[in-house]
Amino acid sequence: MTARLPSRPAILAVLLVLALFLLPWIAGSYPIYLAMQILILAVFSLGFNLLFGYTGLLSFGQAGFFAVGAYGCAKILLVVPNLFLGIAGGVAAAGVAALLLGILSVRHTRIYFSMLTLAFGMMIFSIAWKWRDFTGGDDGLVGIPRAPLEIPGLVSLSVATMERYYYVVLVLSLLAIFAMYRLVRSPLGLTLQAIRDSETRAEFVGVPVRKYRLIAFTIAGLYAGLAGALLPPLENTVTPPIAHWSTSAEPVMATLLGGVHAFAGPIVGAFLFFIIKDIIVRFTEYWLIWFGIIVVALVMAFPGGVMGIFAKRRT
Amino acid sequence: MMKKFAAVNVLFLLSLFLFAAPALAQCQLGVPAIKVGAQGAASGPHSDYGRQIEMGATMAAEEINAAGGVLGCKIEIKFMDDENRAATGVKNARYLVTDWGAHFTVGTDSSGVAMAMGPVLAELKRIHFFTHAATHRLTEELVAVKGIKEIVRVSVPVYQDAIVAALIFKDRKDIKRWANIGADYEYGYTSWNLFKETLKKYRPDVEFVASVWAPFLTLDFSPHIAAVMAEKPDAIFATPWAGEAVMLLRQSLIQGVFDNVQVWWQAMGGSVDVLEGISAEVAKDRFKGKLWATARYIHNWPDTADNKAFIERYRKRWARFPNYSAETTYSALFIMKAAVEKARSMETDKVLAAMKGMQIRNPGGLRVFRDEDHQFIYNVPAGRVVADEKYPIPVLGDLRVFEAKDYYRYPPFTAVSAAK
Amino acid sequence: MDTIAFQGLIGLSLAMYLWLISAGLTIIFGVLRIVNFAHGSLYMVGAYLTYTFYGQMGLPFGVAVVLSLLGTGLLGLVMERGFLSRIYGIDEAYQLLLTFGFILILDDAVKIIWGGVFKIPPIPAFLDGSWPVFGRSFPVYNAFVIAVGIVVAAVLWALFEKTWWGRIVRATATDREMAGAIGVNVPRVFSAVFVFGSMLAALGGAIGTPVRVVAPGIGATMIIQAFIITVIGGLGNLKGAFVSSLIVGVLSAYGTLFFPVFELFFIFVIMAVVLLIRPQGLFTR
Repeated sequence: MTARLPSRPAILAVLLVLALFLLPWIAGSYPIYLAMQILILAVFSLGFNLLFGYTGLLSFGQAGFFAVGAYGCAKILLVVPNLFLGIAGGVAAAGVAALLLGILSVRHTRIYFSMLTLAFGMMIFSIAWKWRDFTGGDDGLVGIPRAPLEIPGLVSLSVATMERYYYVVLVLSLLAIFAMYRLVRSPLGLTLQAIRDSETRAEFVGVPVRKYRLIAFTIAGLYAGLAGALLPPLENTVTPPIAHWSTSAEPVMATLLGGVHAFAGPIVGAFLFFIIKDIIVRFTEYWLIWFGIIVVALVMAFPGGVMGIFAKRRT
Repeated sequence: MMKKFAAVNVLFLLSLFLFAAPALAQCQLGVPAIKVGAQGAASGPHSDYGRQIEMGATMAAEEINAAGGVLGCKIEIKFMDDENRAATGVKNARYLVTDWGAHFTVGTDSSGVAMAMGPVLAELKRIHFFTHAATHRLTEELVAVKGIKEIVRVSVPVYQDAIVAALIFKDRKDIKRWANIGADYEYGYTSWNLFKETLKKYRPDVEFVASVWAPFLTLDFSPHIAAVMAEKPDAIFATPWAGEAVMLLRQSLIQGVFDNVQVWWQAMGGSVDVLEGISAEVAKDRFKGKLWATARYIHNWPDTADNKAFIERYRKRWARFPNYSAETTYSALFIMKAAVEKARSMETDKVLAAMKGMQIRNPGGLRVFRDEDHQFIYNVPAGRVVADEKYPIPVLGDLRVFEAKDYYRYPPFTAVSAAK
Repeated sequence: MDTIAFQGLIGLSLAMYLWLISAGLTIIFGVLRIVNFAHGSLYMVGAYLTYTFYGQMGLPFGVAVVLSLLGTGLLGLVMERGFLSRIYGIDEAYQLLLTFGFILILDDAVKIIWGGVFKIPPIPAFLDGSWPVFGRSFPVYNAFVIAVGIVVAAVLWALFEKTWWGRIVRATATDREMAGAIGVNVPRVFSAVFVFGSMLAALGGAIGTPVRVVAPGIGATMIIQAFIITVIGGLGNLKGAFVSSLIVGVLSAYGTLFFPVFELFFIFVIMAVVLLIRPQGLFTR
């Protein structure tokens, strides 16, 4: 570690992080808002890809956990205006939900797993829609404060402005990204990949496959929960569509755009997802068709995702 | 190909910038143009509303610009589809204000989108003229109680859908059993509750015999219709709107509903898209004169030269009749113009001060600004859906006109149940 | 009692729309092993084409339906030959993503071609009106939909069980390598099945045109319902799709009557429970 020169991707990552920290000085408030959306989707997609790219399970219900994180955070902030508590509570709630539904979901793999997670996600969606007393129904929860970061008796830091809240999102996202980076290189991450590549071989050497899948599912749920919990203070609102399957499709698209088999794939994909959409929306209201064409073209041309282009060049 | 696309766009932006510069000279507000961001549902079964918002805003801007603009400033419109989704509406609002540089925003169809946008408007510090979203909570709660001053509503809230119906049918002694086919979201719940609450006051003898709910994007109302008809109601109160209203009415016709009920109240049935959708059936009198409706503006009322000229211009420009989201959006731009000219500024507080006590004549009639909740008050009649040879689409006939004071709610507001 | 029976009949007509869209989805999955996310969009295209041929050009309803089936079949052919067939080798997740891309394209394409405003052409005269059933008025149109659904079920059964073509398709579904080895042109079977499935989806959309709204976005609503049906019936199981369409259609009609609040939730609970207990579907041995 000591004498080795940092690799090119590492330098790039450091420069990027630096640029992100300086963003409020160089950009207006809309780019900052967009950057937060990208970071949130990046965290969401990273969790999804732990399940998909590293474990081989394609979930169509991640929006359910995203929503549990968002609603959990929102409910807490509406009662106790403390951002630490809100985000931690949202993440914890999503983690518990993912653990419980994960026990059932990991009994299956492949398309059956996808359909099962779709059903669970849509169950959460219908609860968000119908349980008006708790979730506010279709109107959702409104007026969620961008509460201060507070440790009672010690510190209370206001993050009410967009720029300050941006740093909350940035720091938490970077921590989450770093943790995931370590995780996929840890024995746990390597075991998950072994399961993905051959379930029977992993079983043969004594890996409790289902337990590992459950761990991956729960971690993916925690990441979805964190991403979800960062949303209500930003938007001041949580509404049921965030639990809908079309929201589950967002990390799927971002990850596939960026590339499944590169660690940074979901992050690059989240960036592309918003940038492509945002650029197209400026010039035409028919952005879906362009997005669809890009998705189809990418799948046809680079089935490995955008990061796959670089991977190919390297080999 | 994408690269070329982007390059063309950069050029386009650059040229906009260059051409915008000379305009600065004449505009007394010191901006290249007054930018107005418009939003509405432009996809899905409710998409005609968004289109009408876009058409109304565009035509108003064209007329104002042709007549010299607002204090010499041209109006520039940008329309975005909010997909009837709160998250999209909020994101659009942020984009329009912080990036595109909107000075005002206008539009919004769904109540849910409106409620989500409210707090964000306070953060963005821009006035949004709501021209369709109907929940009473937008003005009663967010403005009157929470003090979000950036919310201004040009269209009538849910009072129109519910209280007007109760006022009309309280006199129909032959109707004792009401049933509800409701939109399965807040607008539907509050309409039905407000209707029941008001009607009960006048008619303790009526019964509310059945209530079914249909969510957004319901494709088939047959089970809902069958379920309420099982209770043999005298009258139906229905709140699904736009394309869903057309389907509901069609599917009711073929279940013989109009042979069995006395009255069908289709709250927003006076909207142009609905009238177009059922015009063949109305021409054949398939509804037997039992279909009643209102709207937040109806093209055959008021019978003024103003309104007729407006419709003529609108038909010439778009080859359509204006529905209410078009009239309210069109009028919102003229309200904005009047307020800015009086304030000689676009600052929120100054514009609001200029709007205080405002009375303005729009195609839909006289609108009066209510300071407590930023609600514009005006009359819209309700009536029977009938064919009229003067119009290619049905109109509301047999009009019942109520004074606004009889059916608007007034501060201090009492809560309306939003339960089913 | 009459109320229950009448509501059940209404449910039966709902079931037939579900059957038509899930039949195509499940056949395609059974043979190609692809979950076609864009299947709901083909339903939508079928509806729009019917609107054009029948509502705008004024062709007889039956002719319009046939033309729209052909048109949608052609679209299906382009999707399969031009795109899907080129990536059969790669991870199934990318096939899913590709069909998801089609949803986005088709949703906007119909907006560009037909505008965002919903369409409902008039009901053909011979299907208008109602018949007295159980002391109530049952729409002729809903009876027509039930009839179409049953005829399609009978035709599919005959096609797959009694014809040479059906045997080839079933052989390909069971073991595509083996089918290829005995001389079946597997790529051609794939194309044919995909086109056939697309036309079934289009039929659902087409016969719904005069009573159900045609608008961008209806595809996304239909695809989720089709997923529910095919999962409960067993992915790739045609008979299962028919029975589970009946169950879900009739239950949701009763749901509207008896417990409207929980309808949506319960349907997904049923889907999840079936997946957990009998992932092969309720009706697959």
